[in-house]
Amino acid sequence: MTQFGTLLINGLSLGCIDALIALGFVIVFKATRVVNFAHGSLLLLGAYIVGRAHGELGFAPAVLLAVAVTAAAGVLIAAVLLRRVRLADPGTLAILTLGVDIVLVTELTRRIGTDLLTIGDPWGAAVVGVGPIRLPETRIAAAAAAVVLVGGFLAAVKFSDWGVALRAAAQRPQTAALMGVRLGRVAAGAWALAGGLAAVAGLFFTAFPSPGVSGSVGQAALGAAVPAAVLGGLDSTTGALVGGLVVGVTSTLAAGYQDQLAFAGRGFGSVVPYLVMLLVLLARPAGLFGSKEVTRV
Amino acid sequence: MPAGSMPDAAPAVSPRTSPSDPGGPLLGVRELAVCYAGSVRALDGVSLSVPAGAVVAVLGGNGAGKSTLLRAISGTLPFTRGSIVGGSIEFDGRRLDGAAPAAIVRSGVVQVPEGRQVFGELTVEENLRAGGLAVARRLRRPARDEVYDLFPVLRDRRGQRAGLLSGGEQQLLAIGRALMAGPRLLLLDEPSLGLAPQLVRRIGEVIAEINRRGTAVVLVEQNAALALALADAAYVLEVGRVSLHMPAAELAATDQVRERYLGVGTAPRATATPAGGRPARGLPELVVDGLSVRFGGIAALSEVSFTVQPGAVHALIGPNGAGKSTCLNVLTGVYRSAGGSVRYGDHELTGLRPHQIARLGVGRTFQNLALSPVGTVADALLLGRHRLTRAGFVAAGLRTPRARREQAEQDRRVRQVAELLELADVLSRRVDELPYGDRKRVELARALCSEPTLLLLDEPVAGMTAAESVRLARVLVRVREALAVTILLVEHDMAFVMGIADRVTVLDFGRRIADAAPADVQRDPAVVRAYLGVPAEPATPAAPATPAAAAAPGAAEPAAGGGPR
Repeated sequence: MTQFGTLLINGLSLGCIDALIALGFVIVFKATRVVNFAHGSLLLLGAYIVGRAHGELGFAPAVLLAVAVTAAAGVLIAAVLLRRVRLADPGTLAILTLGVDIVLVTELTRRIGTDLLTIGDPWGAAVVGVGPIRLPETRIAAAAAAVVLVGGFLAAVKFSDWGVALRAAAQRPQTAALMGVRLGRVAAGAWALAGGLAAVAGLFFTAFPSPGVSGSVGQAALGAAVPAAVLGGLDSTTGALVGGLVVGVTSTLAAGYQDQLAFAGRGFGSVVPYLVMLLVLLARPAGLFGSKEVTRV
Repeated sequence: MPAGSMPDAAPAVSPRTSPSDPGGPLLGVRELAVCYAGSVRALDGVSLSVPAGAVVAVLGGNGAGKSTLLRAISGTLPFTRGSIVGGSIEFDGRRLDGAAPAAIVRSGVVQVPEGRQVFGELTVEENLRAGGLAVARRLRRPARDEVYDLFPVLRDRRGQRAGLLSGGEQQLLAIGRALMAGPRLLLLDEPSLGLAPQLVRRIGEVIAEINRRGTAVVLVEQNAALALALADAAYVLEVGRVSLHMPAAELAATDQVRERYLGVGTAPRATATPAGGRPARGLPELVVDGLSVRFGGIAALSEVSFTVQPGAVHALIGPNGAGKSTCLNVLTGVYRSAGGSVRYGDHELTGLRPHQIARLGVGRTFQNLALSPVGTVADALLLGRHRLTRAGFVAAGLRTPRARREQAEQDRRVRQVAELLELADVLSRRVDELPYGDRKRVELARALCSEPTLLLLDEPVAGMTAAESVRLARVLVRVREALAVTILLVEHDMAFVMGIADRVTVLDFGRRIADAAPADVQRDPAVVRAYLGVPAEPATPAAPATPAAAAAPGAAEPAAGGGPR
């Protein structure tokens, strides 16, 4: 029971990080219908900047710098690359983001080289114990950051002009344009937000108990974000949050009970989120909270 | 449509080129030409002017280019891969053509899109807020209060999701949302579409009130009665050109309008009666009994009954939103019915899947073409033979003798149908190279290739030129003589229907309002009211082939059994 409680709490805290990653992924899809395969590399970019800059600037300024740079990178991708091929089919644009991902990851991996890059966060490897349950401090910080950011994001979507424009454009882009919504700006805002969230998520994704920043981090993050976003419903922010928690909890539980699950082989924990995703999709093809497609004859 | 790739990188509205001439029009469209996908010409030399404070109606059938005209003015053509290839659009001395939609809204031209298009997931208040995003914050509250004063029902429901409103309330919301941007020119695309008569009247009052407060209006409508009652001037579009332009009151009195909307003046039928010698033997009867269909809470069809006699040409007509296409979609298994039955011979069709219904010998064509653009005409027709093809892909790939024999037989049948439909010369051409009217005939040919006993046609002449429409009527007459087939067609074009149908069922707001021979339907007061909004004037009885009607310009063209427009 203690083991289960520990795993559950750890899973939920990991789920908060997964939810942050998935949220950025979903915002871009919601605003532009583009599946952003470069999201993992934006996360890697954020973590890399924190890792390189925290020695000189200190931790907090380094994080702010990382958020600013990744947000700018997101806007740059949206404005420079995707706008060049306007009106192209979202599938084509998704492949374009795949290209961006390859370029970014290759360059960042080269820059990291053989260095062991750490985040330099103030929490270090400290662990908190509440009764029998033990949890790294970084995870508590991650959960707190996730709650604040997600709360702020949901409030912005609900109450700000940008939020109204985002929801209107997501639902009926053409009608939103007829109402004077500048779709390009809405999209750029979504990319900026996705970039900023990726930087924060990247920070916690590479903090203790992870070993540090390496070139494979982006891939791992995307591997968590995709099942989270898809099982939640690709165009639903609520879905991304729930999906993130589900992925965090199931993968942690599967890893924790590895001995009992030995028949499934080692590393089963990273497969489980995809199994859950498949089961959800069998029952609900649009994901838990996704909107259904309607065709007209 | 990807929102992130929208063309708002297009230049802003260009600065005023000439000082605003107080005598000039508010909106001037000159020689406008629009193409879709680089080739299909949807508008060709359309000129139109809207004086300040005026209401201008744009009438015309499906595919005439009305919506394209509005898209061009509001800058949303790129969403449908359209572009302006000639002419100009000037609003208050500024060029609008080529500007981004957001910039056009900010210059004072706002469109209410067809089909309301409210943001269903947003509340009523958020919808209005979305409409006001283009104007300064301080102007939004007064604008919203004004909308609430104009439509008190929206104030009562401001916290509700817009998707839960009724159709009429959604239309009011769509208009209110556009008013939030403080338009000087309001573009309305089919505001009465699918609304009940009282609501249509209410929409009419609303438009008049908006206009009284100083906003000019361009009103695109299928409902000629509504449009002509409101408008100062009217334009009739036909296949991308302005075919008539005159003061609305004058237009309402012309024979052309009566002919277009009621088919009055059509030459008498040249064909024989249905029983006369046609191979109707063995064809089953189609009996629709008490059929009801609901979408959410809205009744699209309420207890509709009619019977299609074997071998007959039966027309299903009615204004936009009457439920015609819905009815066809139930017959082919695309929609589920909420009640009632559809029997075809011994089979109950409700509950069957579309491919099962097709196997019973029911073929159909679609309102908007559903053809693969890249295949050849022959490919499209062979696809129609699919249900009659036996050789599997292994046998066909190995070219077994039997498969070869079958292939030859299929080719022969395809050629026969192509000859019947005057398509033999274009069999090897790609579908997207053909003009629109020919493509519609290709679709008809594909349906005939499956050797249906019942053929369902959804708006077969929509968007066709008058000549193409006459040609199709001629072809259909030939088809029913050559092949044993019952035809049920849905159509807007009354002249076409009156020329070809043996029997006509009229729907309005999902209910059957008439079911009779064509000539009787034309005289039916309920039908006249549904189409023109006014009872038939006793002074000019709506009877076909009176000397006066025959002398009308549109009736001068003789038709071999078909109906010219």
